[in-house]
Amino acid sequence: MKILAIDTSCDETAAAVTEDTKILSNIVWSQASAHAKFGGVMPSLAQRMHEERIDWVIERAINNSQLTINNLDAIAVTIGPGLSIALGVGIDRAKKLALKYNKKLIAVNHLEGHILSSLALTMNSQFTINNLQFPALGLVVSGGNTILVKINKIGSYETLAQTTDDALGEALDKAARMLGLGYPGGSILEITARGGIITAYTLPIPIAGQEERKIFTYSGLKTAMSRLVKSEKPLTKEKIYNLAACFQDVAFTHLVRVCSYIIENCELKTENLLVGGGVSANVELRKRLRHMGKKYGLRVLFPYSKKLTGDNAAMIGAAAFFKAQRGEFTEVDEIDRKPNAKIGD
Amino acid sequence: MQIIKNDKKAVRVATEILKSGGLVIYPTETLYGIGADATNPKAIQKLTKYKNRPFGKPYSIAVTNQKMAGECVELNTAAKNLYKEFLPGPLTVISKGKHKVAHGVESEDGTLGIRIPDFKLVMDIVKKLGKPITATSANASYKKRPYSIPDILDNISDKQKSLIDLIIDAGELPHNEPSTVIDTTLDDPVTLRQGRIKLADKNEVLSRSEEGTQNLAKELWQKYESHIGKRAIVFALQGEMGTGKTIFTKGLARAMGITELVTSPTFALENEYSTGQEKLFHFDAWRLEKPDELRALGFEDLVKNKSVISIEWAERVSDIIREFDDEAIIVWVKIDFGKAENERGISWGVTI
Repeated sequence: MKILAIDTSCDETAAAVTEDTKILSNIVWSQASAHAKFGGVMPSLAQRMHEERIDWVIERAINNSQLTINNLDAIAVTIGPGLSIALGVGIDRAKKLALKYNKKLIAVNHLEGHILSSLALTMNSQFTINNLQFPALGLVVSGGNTILVKINKIGSYETLAQTTDDALGEALDKAARMLGLGYPGGSILEITARGGIITAYTLPIPIAGQEERKIFTYSGLKTAMSRLVKSEKPLTKEKIYNLAACFQDVAFTHLVRVCSYIIENCELKTENLLVGGGVSANVELRKRLRHMGKKYGLRVLFPYSKKLTGDNAAMIGAAAFFKAQRGEFTEVDEIDRKPNAKIGD
Repeated sequence: MQIIKNDKKAVRVATEILKSGGLVIYPTETLYGIGADATNPKAIQKLTKYKNRPFGKPYSIAVTNQKMAGECVELNTAAKNLYKEFLPGPLTVISKGKHKVAHGVESEDGTLGIRIPDFKLVMDIVKKLGKPITATSANASYKKRPYSIPDILDNISDKQKSLIDLIIDAGELPHNEPSTVIDTTLDDPVTLRQGRIKLADKNEVLSRSEEGTQNLAKELWQKYESHIGKRAIVFALQGEMGTGKTIFTKGLARAMGITELVTSPTFALENEYSTGQEKLFHFDAWRLEKPDELRALGFEDLVKNKSVISIEWAERVSDIIREFDDEAIIVWVKIDFGKAENERGISWGVTI
């Protein structure tokens, strides 16, 4: 099944064409902007609005797929969670195209897209969904979300733990900012951390010893980091490396400790852990999650490309494919944004 | 509409127009104000039409001295002290009204704000008229603070322009803050708007835990909750990273009866929560590049719809928030790190 997928849930304007779980094209504005189609810098307002770039991104996704819109079977669009006005732009375009070309519409939850992003594949991949046993675990670590779910089967989720304050990606970005590494600086923090010593400082591991609370929480760590950075000023290069390393270490340690507690104590009988979201591109985190997987006999799946970790529409196309298989289409006049959309309740 | 300079005849012309129920735009030591005879119901109706603001939002008035103020309001000790200390000057003192002014000038609760401007022209006009005049800012609701005549005229419709009878143009005024507003009708005088005059701030507590911060949010909610549905209620939260702005909002949500999990809106820019009846709109300005983006996120509509709003990093968008001083109850909350690890100094002020 060939699907045009659109995601405008927050900052990125994204469109993709997928066939079943295979990606034919995957356009995210931040990459596309390198082509400087519009020249110069756009007012930031318009950037957030997506309006100016959505048509170009969709057109490019279709062109890159070597298909025409008439060859497509359905149009998928993210309805939430996300920023209401941003979601509205993608939904409007999806509706218009669905009406104009008489296509079916599929409403997709952005979080489900991230959870299933490791199942989105290249054209030549041999891996198929049949290899996967359910129930499985799904972990989304991004700028906006940090959530562990049980995947009973695709389309049926139960929340096992989620952040009560800041998302992991947000915490990393903010720590980077405290260290003067810019924003968003999560990926710069990762590189900086490689040059540091994790034992140079002691930051408190959030809810250490109380993992049975089954929550992720980063606000306390963020505050402790803020105090530590202040007390270490003026910052030297060495201090920045060490602080970055220490913060990232503690942030990941907390994530792994809570996940481990749940795997050990909740009799999930799973063999697979599907990881998605922008932070899943972090090499150190991948290492630690693989290590955790080994300990508990879990196969850990990550998105095959970095482009699938951040917000993108190919993952929305993949999630939409499974919805289409279950016959879950939405009428044009019924589709609506759900800024608060949840998963696994 | 007549535009004149601030010269010898200005007082006479202005007084005549005010006598006949007209509207006069005049300079003060803070902003340009718009005056109407505060005892003339028709003049007040005309003013409300000009300001384009919902009925029930009171006007403060300008008088010449404490004696004249005492004819309009009951002055308690707290008020008298403030008059002695700070007036004339950029301070509005709210007292219990004696219903001597036209309907709509006093608040729904019967309170009235008094100003004694430190500006000779205004004093002379009020003296000659022998009656108090309104001392509200000359901009229409939602519009820019008026420091010059173009600030006003460029932002209003022709219909609004036609309501102005006289403008006394003193050119560009120094960009002073609007007057500080103090309510003396409450047990403790409360600073409603902070201008140049700063009182020893009593609105400050020490929170010793996250729970303490949440409890303060609850108390502030209970204090202003009665305005729900009548006016927007905006909690403008300021404070460094990690001081507990999201924690405060969690407390606010809990006090409102919201059971959903409240998390940081930094990434999404805005989250919405609902009790089923009431909604809480939770913004985060940290990632906004320009204050104007708050508008693009629909802030103005939310205020017009009388929503409950919490904004983290409000200092980054304070200019936009302040534009809604008239329409919204704005609770400015500042959270600072304390000495001990879990301590936070929390201070607040409110514009009503």
